[in-house]
Amino acid sequence: MGVRATKHIMMAVKKMRSRLGLAWVVLSALVLFSGDVLAHGERAQLASMRMRTVHWFDTQVTPLQAKVGDTVTLTGKFIPSVYWPETLPSIAAMAFLNVGVPGPTFLRVHSEVNGVPMMRSTAFPLGKVYEYKVVMRARIPGRYHVHPLINVENAGSLIGKGTWLEIDKADTDAPFVNNATVLTGETVDLETYGLGGVIGWHLVWIAMGVAWLLFWLVRKELFIPRFMRIRALGADRANELLTKKDFVVSAMFFTLTLTIILTGYLWAEWKYPLTIPLQTGKVGVLGLDVPDGNLKIEVDSASYKLDGRSLTMHAKMTNNGERPLRIDEFITANIRFINPKVAEGKIVEGEEMVARNGLTVSVDVINPGETKDVVIVASDTLWEQYRMTGLIQDPDSRFAGLLFYGDDQGKRYYQEVGGSILPSYF
Amino acid sequence: MSELQLEESRVKEAKEAKAQILDMESLNNPAAMKLYRRLDGILILVLFTFLTLGIQIQFTLTAGDWDYWVDWKDRRWWPLVTPLTLLMPIGAFTYGIWQRVRLPIMATALTTLLCLVAWGSHYLNFYKFTYFPLTFVFPATYIGVGILLDCALVMTRSLVVSAFIGAGLFGALVYPLNWPLIAAYRTAVEFNGTLLSLADLMGYEYIRTTTPEYLRIIESSTLRTFGGSVVPLTAVFAGFVSIVVYAIFLWVGSYVNKLVTFAKRIM
Ligand SMILES: [Cu+2]
Repeated sequence: MGVRATKHIMMAVKKMRSRLGLAWVVLSALVLFSGDVLAHGERAQLASMRMRTVHWFDTQVTPLQAKVGDTVTLTGKFIPSVYWPETLPSIAAMAFLNVGVPGPTFLRVHSEVNGVPMMRSTAFPLGKVYEYKVVMRARIPGRYHVHPLINVENAGSLIGKGTWLEIDKADTDAPFVNNATVLTGETVDLETYGLGGVIGWHLVWIAMGVAWLLFWLVRKELFIPRFMRIRALGADRANELLTKKDFVVSAMFFTLTLTIILTGYLWAEWKYPLTIPLQTGKVGVLGLDVPDGNLKIEVDSASYKLDGRSLTMHAKMTNNGERPLRIDEFITANIRFINPKVAEGKIVEGEEMVARNGLTVSVDVINPGETKDVVIVASDTLWEQYRMTGLIQDPDSRFAGLLFYGDDQGKRYYQEVGGSILPSYF
Repeated sequence: MSELQLEESRVKEAKEAKAQILDMESLNNPAAMKLYRRLDGILILVLFTFLTLGIQIQFTLTAGDWDYWVDWKDRRWWPLVTPLTLLMPIGAFTYGIWQRVRLPIMATALTTLLCLVAWGSHYLNFYKFTYFPLTFVFPATYIGVGILLDCALVMTRSLVVSAFIGAGLFGALVYPLNWPLIAAYRTAVEFNGTLLSLADLMGYEYIRTTTPEYLRIIESSTLRTFGGSVVPLTAVFAGFVSIVVYAIFLWVGSYVNKLVTFAKRIM
């Protein structure tokens, strides 16, 4: 009996252990996965918000592997949607081109949009093409998911899709140096420049503060005795508690403090005679026209399956150009739906959120002068993964995306399509 | 007042007078003094811990980015916002401590504790955990103006008069006090054909994803400048507003004090 009972218990423990093991595996997977998701927030925004704010495309990071001190370049294009939600502050008012990396793991050494340097805030009028380039120097080793990012004043951050990037330690053990040459010709390392003065003056003031506190707090009679004496003296005579020594020491501290402030000021003026105020301003940048290849598109209707796996669009397309056009890709909310029959758009190394067989187009070619009714279906499980199922929850059911097409000479065109979208229950 | 109430208050007064005499006598008693000193030690520890946490939270909430980044310490807003936000707790606490124990320590204590806790938090949160260089995230100092305010209190022996001299200097001198710390980062540099200060350049190079350039409130221009001198003008204005804010919070302190006395009476 005893043996059997022990066996039973052993079995139960074993079972429990394996179950716990499984739970542990699931849990850690969940933690890892959710950590990944939480780190970027690319799925946090409402589906329609992601579809109708910024269309990012041709995003590329090179190289994908580098060492600390090396240069990494992020390039790509974006079009601010003309279907920009009315309820959201506009990117055409105030915006800043940024990079989604965990803090200063990289130094941003250069950034530009359509050739204009982007150290400052700017504005991006809707419906135009902007080509950006951000050059960064790797500073801290690690594995990072790098995103293009635009901060829009009062609206928040709009994030493009991420690319994993591996940064290894530098070959030498020398500390990271960030040199800048100031106008006087001197070269300084911004990682450490001026720090001696900062720490020195802080120590001076901490010493002064501590000295003052020690003078008042290290004495025979402190809070309780002084409180009793004041109560005995009465409010009118309470000042009698202050001695002549207190007064003299205070006057000395007062004079010394003013002297140190003045000395510090003069020292700084002597050490850094040429200073300028913080600079600010807003730069303007011109958007490029969308290369639509003279294809006129009128969206008649659009719908999405309630399970969130596909979007269907009926459109009337007229080719006013001189070359036959074939539709090869649809991009919305950072997801690329590619028509495998045409597949003009190239997929770069390390690219994410690509549905390689995600697009079906009812019409193969639209010849010059032709008008065709085209049915486009974008479907992939990526819809689900990136929470496009939430479309039904949106207060303003409209969609937008970029449609890509090319001619027989390999020229690629695109334009934005969008409009109302209805859920389909079948 | 009825006979009975009069009698009662007389008894109470007599009791209090007797207690006060006992109190004063205890000051000559070494055993009592030893106990007082021990209690005072605990009191200082509790008070300073409370002040450290309080000023850290209050300053983070109100001064925030102005305190974090070297490219936020502008000539117009930073030297105005920071003294005002510091003078609120300083005013409120100074009243009680001065009236009860005549110790002019609150301004120095709060600014010194803030300096120490800010170094700790900036060092850990910005330097160790998020890799910003210390050149970009060192805290400013306010200890100098704190000492001036406390000294003014002893020298004038009056909360009201010290509000004019001490709080006025507190507000006016924040910028010159910190100039030896920040001047280095106002050196000019050319970048992409644009004139920048080193602080601006660092703000661009050290990436902050949630603090875009447009958030910095640097200087709102006005046509009515005083010969182009922003700093002295801000100093005068900050000094004046500091006096007002400090006076208001002294009053808040006195009000809180009254509430304490009132609460005691009820109990
Ligand atoms: Cu990411």
